[in-house]
Amino acid sequence: MTQEITFWVLAVIAVLGALVAVRRRNLIHGVFALMIFFAALSGLFLLLLAEFIAAVQILVYIGAVGILLLFAIMLTERVTGDDARDITSRGSFWGWAAALAVLVFLLLPAIQSADLAQTTQPHNPSVKALGQQMMDPYVITLEVLALLLTAALIGAVAASQGGEKTKEDIDDA
Amino acid sequence: MSFELIKDILIATVPLLVIFPSLFAFTTWMERKALARIQNRIGPNKTGIPCTRIGLFGLGQPAADGIKMIFKEDIVPRGADKLFHLLAPILALIPAMLILCFLPLEFPWGKFMSAPVQAFLLDSAVIFFFAISGLATLAIFMAGWASRNKYSLLGGMRAVAQMVSYEIPLVLSAVVVVMMVGSLNAKEIADAQTGFNWFVFTPWGLAAFVIFFIAALAETNRSPFDLPEAESEIIAGYFTEYSGFKFALFFLGEYIAMFAISGLAVTLFLGAGDGPFLTAAPWLSVMWFIGKIFGLIAVMIWLRGTLPRLRVDQLMAFAWKFLLPLSIFNILLAGLTHFALDARVAATSDAILYSIHASHTHSDAANHDHPKPVAGQKEAVMGALHYTDKDWMGAMKWFSKAALKGHAQSRSILGWGFGIWAMSLIVLYVMAKGLDNVSRSTAKPREYLYAE
Repeated sequence: MTQEITFWVLAVIAVLGALVAVRRRNLIHGVFALMIFFAALSGLFLLLLAEFIAAVQILVYIGAVGILLLFAIMLTERVTGDDARDITSRGSFWGWAAALAVLVFLLLPAIQSADLAQTTQPHNPSVKALGQQMMDPYVITLEVLALLLTAALIGAVAASQGGEKTKEDIDDA
Repeated sequence: MSFELIKDILIATVPLLVIFPSLFAFTTWMERKALARIQNRIGPNKTGIPCTRIGLFGLGQPAADGIKMIFKEDIVPRGADKLFHLLAPILALIPAMLILCFLPLEFPWGKFMSAPVQAFLLDSAVIFFFAISGLATLAIFMAGWASRNKYSLLGGMRAVAQMVSYEIPLVLSAVVVVMMVGSLNAKEIADAQTGFNWFVFTPWGLAAFVIFFIAALAETNRSPFDLPEAESEIIAGYFTEYSGFKFALFFLGEYIAMFAISGLAVTLFLGAGDGPFLTAAPWLSVMWFIGKIFGLIAVMIWLRGTLPRLRVDQLMAFAWKFLLPLSIFNILLAGLTHFALDARVAATSDAILYSIHASHTHSDAANHDHPKPVAGQKEAVMGALHYTDKDWMGAMKWFSKAALKGHAQSRSILGWGFGIWAMSLIVLYVMAKGLDNVSRSTAKPREYLYAE
């Protein structure tokens, strides 16, 4: 009973947050609404006893992606965020139609045909087991990913540095 | 939803909601008093019991401040984003209050409860702590952006840059402890340090503690890292446009975050609720915990009174070029000392245990001459047993007793242990010194021509 109430509260918050995020013309409001959506999603993960994923959801999506979005908006010119109107577009009917079609013809049949376990027995995936999986069978994957991210980071630094500095640049600085 | 559940939730959370805000009131008084003494002033000393002339060293000051804050006019700038301007101080307080639940505080009323004493007994408490404490950044940014004020926005941007940078060394220094305990559970980390096996006594723990404390200062915008609210540069930073109770909420949130992050430092490095006289009075545990938090807060106040503020470029260079490499190196060193060098000590202590076992089996054999008991054998065995229980302090105590009686293996263990300890500290010191030389910010202040 408690779980059902919690689920519905979180679900409504998530859907409303997502709706506001796509409807607002004010980008900063949109980003914060998106964060509300992420937070509600993390709550849903907690409800499923997936506490590590919930924590990572907050850490990565709200803490990193959200802040990154804010930075990107702040560094974009002419985004003052004064506009309080909602986004309206002429082609919205086709958008709604496409979304509805995906729901009815793809998602619903997929959910109905999926073999979902009917038991409510909680499966408690401990963080320790997750870590051991990560360090034992999937260690190569992890290392490759880490290497990729490091390369991306170094690439970003190199790209942001620009070309070689001329002597005049150095003198100016 | 049963009555028991509600009762447990209330018993676990209400103390946190009562104790820490009252400690906040006391801390503001303590801070004002201490800063005043550092600056050769007296500080608040008049406000005591109302309608009398009893001053009580100014202990009534927080109450007077609170009443003033409530009755002050709430000013919202005309151009401000009204909703966000209102939400920001609230959002600043929520994560700070929430992370208090992850601290392994053992209140003595466990017997009234059916569930564990800790509010959130999560398996991944440490990760949750960092995840939620990072949300305070958002509140600060929200405040800076919603105020529509240059100085607010500058303060907000500074805060975001600073907190995002310092979160990395903060988390990396905590990783060492997680690695050693093999758990993210705050309770298990606390339990691993009972009997004065505090991680701050190990070389890597000491280094990690110092890194953690510095990064925590930056995370909570404390001096010398209070650039987001630098009053000599940007008025009050992100809360320039806040007055009255909204300002008080920011203030409260900041102090609660200070308590929470000091609490995490105490949990990770200073043995949580561990201390003397615990077997006689287990309720002292919570006292030790809060006492240690206050010790850290006192150091923060002391630093605020004595250190000047950093420049922005120094701040960033310090986080990325000094703290980050040092904390990564510290992880490496911790792994090396623990898994490679400690193996030597472990092997010797195993040998002691094996020798006693072997002598017993041989004495059962036909020849009845008992092997001559080596001096200090008994103490050495006790030490080895403590060592296998990961009670390093107890083990060292027994080993040194054995060594005093002339037990050779114990001497060797002590020598190795001390050698590892000293070597690691020296290596860390050299590393820090080298990084300090390399990482100094090279930006020079602009030379002004005074004749202009």
